[in-house]
Amino acid sequence: MKNRLRVLRAEREWSQADLAERLEVSRQTVNAIETGKFDPSLPLAFKLARLFETTIEAIFDDTAPPAVGPTVFGG
Amino acid sequence: MICGVNNAATRRYLYRFLTTMVFYVVFLFGAVWAFPRYHPTGAVAYLLAILPALPIIGGIVVVGLYLAEEKDEFQRTVLIQAMIWGIGATLSLTTAWGFLEVFKLVPHIELYLVFPLFCALTGVASGILKARYR
Repeated sequence: MKNRLRVLRAEREWSQADLAERLEVSRQTVNAIETGKFDPSLPLAFKLARLFETTIEAIFDDTAPPAVGPTVFGG
Repeated sequence: MICGVNNAATRRYLYRFLTTMVFYVVFLFGAVWAFPRYHPTGAVAYLLAILPALPIIGGIVVVGLYLAEEKDEFQRTVLIQAMIWGIGATLSLTTAWGFLEVFKLVPHIELYLVFPLFCALTGVASGILKARYR
């Protein structure tokens, strides 16, 4: 799903690894979410929203066309 | 199968999996060594023959534990997807091979080779999936 994670990260000057550490996930996970290829679970989405002190809707845009890449099974 | 050893679930997985592999090697060589020497019969023969399979079954349990303990949902998802591809490819190949065997077009393949085949195919699928998610 399209999202503003890269912008939010840049505002705080965090690398993908910095964000991964704060979320307690791997850097690959942050990258997959950021590129829109992997949609996080609701708990992880809430964790992201709290970390950036905003709402889930302000981070993720479910009205935009999906990113190219495997979202579930290579679709 | 699993990348990065910077988390507790992966470390536990590697430790447990290596332990099962040590038991596998010991049991396999034990069975292969003991069978022709002692010619066991009855229940003892069955027990000795099945011994190398037990650590492999243990290895499957270890993967299950990893999936239960891994907190990173993306890593979990990649492994589950890779295993589903692995299952599909393994069943397809072994079913096709089975029919080729029925019509005597290919030699017989031992069933214990199905598991390493599944592992290899899952490994290939995991690599492809990780590249696609990058």
